[in-house]
Amino acid sequence: MSQREPTGIVFNIQRFTVHDGPGIRTEIFLKGCTLRCKWCSNPESQSPRREPGVYITKCIGLDHCGLCSQACPTGSILREEHGFVTAIARDTCAHCMRCTDVCPANALKSWGVEMTADQVMEEILADRPLMERSGGGVTFSGGEALFQFDFLMELLRRCRAKELHTCVETALHVPQDHLAQTVPLTDLYIFDIKDISSQRHRAFTGAGNELILDNARFLSRTGKPMVVRIPIIPGHNDMEENILGIRDFILQEMEHKPLQIQFLRFRRLGEEKYASLGMPYVMTEEVERAEFEQHVHHLVSLMTQAGLPAVAGTTKPIAGLSGGTP
Amino acid sequence: MSILHACGNDPYDKEYGIAVSALGENFSPYERTNQLLKQLHDTPYTVDDQRAMLVTEAYDRFRADPQIIKVAKTLKYVLEHVDIHIYPGELLVCGNGAPMKSCPIFPEFSYAWVADEIRTFPFHVREMQKYEPQTKEQEERLLSIEEFWRDNTVDDYSCARMTPEEIRASQMGYGLFVNTIILRAGVGHTSPNYRRLLAKGFGGLRRDVEEKLKALDRTDPDALQKIYYYQASLIVLEGAEAYCRRYAKLALEQAKTASPERAAELEEVARVCNHIAVEPPRTFREALQLFLLGTAIVVTEANGQSISYGRFDQFMYPFYRHDIETGTATKQEIEMLIELAFIKLTGMQKLRDKNAVKQASGRGLGGDCMTVGGVDRRGLDATNDLTFLVLDARNHTRLISPWMAVRMHKNTPWELKVKVANSIRIGTGEPKIFNDEVAIPAGLGKGYSLEDARDYTVVGCVEIDAAGYEYGCHDATYFNVSRVLELAINDGKWLHDDVQMGPHTGYLKDFTSFDQVLDAFDIQMKYFVDLMVSSINTIEEVHKEYKPLPYLSLLIDNCIESGRDVTAGGAKYNLTGPQALALGTAADSLSTIKQLVFDEKTITAQTLIDALKANWEGYDTLYRLVNSDKVHHYGNDDDYADELAKFVFDTYCKYVEKRPNVRGGRFAPGVYSVAGNVPHGMVQWASADGRQAYEPVSDCIGAVHTHVASHDIKGPTAMLNSVAKLDHERAGNGTLLNWKFNPSCVQGETGRNNLIALLDMIIDKKVMHSQFNIITREQLEAAQKDPEKYKHMLVRVAGYSAYFVDLGVNLQRDIIERTEFSFD
Repeated sequence: MSQREPTGIVFNIQRFTVHDGPGIRTEIFLKGCTLRCKWCSNPESQSPRREPGVYITKCIGLDHCGLCSQACPTGSILREEHGFVTAIARDTCAHCMRCTDVCPANALKSWGVEMTADQVMEEILADRPLMERSGGGVTFSGGEALFQFDFLMELLRRCRAKELHTCVETALHVPQDHLAQTVPLTDLYIFDIKDISSQRHRAFTGAGNELILDNARFLSRTGKPMVVRIPIIPGHNDMEENILGIRDFILQEMEHKPLQIQFLRFRRLGEEKYASLGMPYVMTEEVERAEFEQHVHHLVSLMTQAGLPAVAGTTKPIAGLSGGTP
Repeated sequence: MSILHACGNDPYDKEYGIAVSALGENFSPYERTNQLLKQLHDTPYTVDDQRAMLVTEAYDRFRADPQIIKVAKTLKYVLEHVDIHIYPGELLVCGNGAPMKSCPIFPEFSYAWVADEIRTFPFHVREMQKYEPQTKEQEERLLSIEEFWRDNTVDDYSCARMTPEEIRASQMGYGLFVNTIILRAGVGHTSPNYRRLLAKGFGGLRRDVEEKLKALDRTDPDALQKIYYYQASLIVLEGAEAYCRRYAKLALEQAKTASPERAAELEEVARVCNHIAVEPPRTFREALQLFLLGTAIVVTEANGQSISYGRFDQFMYPFYRHDIETGTATKQEIEMLIELAFIKLTGMQKLRDKNAVKQASGRGLGGDCMTVGGVDRRGLDATNDLTFLVLDARNHTRLISPWMAVRMHKNTPWELKVKVANSIRIGTGEPKIFNDEVAIPAGLGKGYSLEDARDYTVVGCVEIDAAGYEYGCHDATYFNVSRVLELAINDGKWLHDDVQMGPHTGYLKDFTSFDQVLDAFDIQMKYFVDLMVSSINTIEEVHKEYKPLPYLSLLIDNCIESGRDVTAGGAKYNLTGPQALALGTAADSLSTIKQLVFDEKTITAQTLIDALKANWEGYDTLYRLVNSDKVHHYGNDDDYADELAKFVFDTYCKYVEKRPNVRGGRFAPGVYSVAGNVPHGMVQWASADGRQAYEPVSDCIGAVHTHVASHDIKGPTAMLNSVAKLDHERAGNGTLLNWKFNPSCVQGETGRNNLIALLDMIIDKKVMHSQFNIITREQLEAAQKDPEKYKHMLVRVAGYSAYFVDLGVNLQRDIIERTEFSFD
């Protein structure tokens, strides 16, 4: 049997990202996730399969276009009274993506494309001079970057061969032996600790936090540079007690400390993407921004008072990380 | 203090805010600057009739003289008689034949539109760039000279000589190319030899001319024209001296009634003006005053666009060094003087006709570019303390003038990169970045010596110029390559109009291969480039005959040496630069045809032509498809489309480069639109890139953005890789890439350093010229809604910045629709 070129499902490649690791980077978003966070701003990243997204306002009308209905083998294109595509019948959709191939208006968009490792590398290498100039590199994200583990390993190995700086952004809800295999090929980890209470963690993400914390302990023993992120979700995990718990975990249980602890303020993002997937958007509560901002800064200060390098947001320079032109 | 390694006055890494533009006040640490800025902003825009009247009188009085003597005497007459002004608090003086923020009129170039607008659409009823109402007397005076100038201007003489084919292809017909700039006003687009002016002073120039004149034999018939030329030179020098002395006299008069403190300032103004009336300057202030008056006279002689200020940090440096070393002035005093000079430059204004205003450019003289940084004549980094002071003076004033260009190269020091990045982040769109690594080879390609190529300056929006040695006619014409394609697929006819414009090259439906499309494009291109070249030569010939420029010629080498005016080929380098525009539109149109009609055969040629003829109406599916990422588009680092852009670029350059011009020099192509993509689009039918009729075409060398989609979707690095595939060195007259960044992605030190990394890449990848808007769509839309509040919001247009609220609605919309790069 001939060796098949390794492939993966990529839902986005963003060149010139600047906040997920040092310098100017190309970020590869791999599809599929082990968690289902209520506040997830990339719902299209969750399922490992390719799936069609629907942008109703872009549809030019089934009556004088209709290419999607003609292409669909299962009759899953749903129309509303004015003749525009309104949704995909998810229960019958065969995920063949023919509708997105023919839609001229980008009203039907494929979330995720199948790419070979060669194709991904070609896209990465196009910006290599800029990465070198800026002290940047490649960041693998998701979804869960380790969900498509074999594909990730293949890409990491190829990046290593090209001497590119690599960063893996993970939720850490992954098998530890997988994580261990990425260590020699990864220069920086960015991971979340969302909640110190496993019960709350399970309620909001669908899984407890034991594996995550254990992986965090494990990674901290490797001495690899790490950045910890805490998404601050009002009414979910933004209580002092949670932050103090995470603080104590970092202080007491992580052998090498993270280079930076970044507090990510919740923003109502991704609502349109939820709609495109026919998924309900549950984070509809309005947040009073000024008050929230103040609260986040208070939470940050809980960490900094304990001597930890915590900041609000992802744009502050990270001490100990090379990046930017000297 | 070592001045050699200094980085200006403000700390080199001082931040001035992000996307704050010129909103707010008191940007300067100097109270006098802030006061004079306020005085400038509070002065209304007006139109002045005095220069027009004086020129008319002079042309009448000196009508028997040879043309060059006549224009010289006219300039002298204006300099001796026009009202001059010294405003409260000023330490530096100059004017272009009108009061502060008032436009003089230049009837010798074109006049019919002036009289017409006064009668039917006075300057104060304009929607954009309006002026205070003129008095009844002013209007009557201006109308009284209409008859004198009827069929008696550069415009009239040129039009009379053009062929019907040239007229039909130009703005007077179907607007495939537009040469209004050199037709209706002075050619401009030049940078005087300030080194020579400052080294010799008016007196030294006078001695040079006298010596040459003495050597000529009046009985030699071949010497006559040269004698006239030198006589004209002496006449304008008398005018220049008189002009300086008039300012000195006015200062002393004002001193009589001024407070003791102000009287002392005015006496110093008088001393400086009297000194530089003949003698070369010794101090920075004297040099700066001579720079200002020397430039103002160039502007007064011929209101050309883009009279540029050269490498200011280089030619002023000896005076700066002198002052610092001798303790004559402090860094702070010098920085403030530069700021005051910028205020004086912005006080000079130019009147444009109502259509020009509606379509494009902002206020000010236009194109008055100042260049700093870069390498010296030996190829070594030339950054000095003044480089930083000039950029800071600009950050402290944030005015229309001067337009600011920074030359960068692979050895540009880190501190200057930081200063540049922090200046860009303010969001006024200044400065623009020129790449020595491309511009110098491009200069060599234009025939410059290596030293002159290294010493280039930026003229106007985009053009590289051998400052002081070149008369480059850089903005000769804008030529729409996407309309050539329209004719190439329709047998030489427009799609919506049956006029046979070009040669018969067949219909798209009859072509059996894509190569036939390219061949037809090539043939049409040659035909229309020929028409453009002949029409430009016609206009330049008229300038030579009717409007020689003896004063400017004093400041361009080798005019004095050769005894010839710049318009007659006296300069060391004589180039003519017409620009191709709509590169992206043409490339994506070709891509549509290649992919859909020939490669994939998803549509027939006839369907595409029918859709275009119908302006896409009834062809929604195709229209969306062509605007989607399912079709290859230029600007995404995708060779399929980028190769087509390269083909268009090379085809245009091939037919323009090395054509002879009327001054004994040759043509040098440029590829950019500045803001011309909007008016050119306004006369153009639908195109195959997914553009509807009358939408703007693509700007400069950027990607297509139509009302429904931006065609570049892969971010700034992909765009950079696409444009890097073009042969920028071949476009000796310049190229330009516009960048628009969301402020959030250049925030903080990280953002600053990433911007610097991008600048480094632009240098590495040999992209000639880039400029940046750091602004959000929301800010621009807010400014459209509340122009009063945002009246000082400067934004990048293309090659220049302008007050957003002063721009035509279509151009505003075009800027808003340019792809905004934001990451994260």
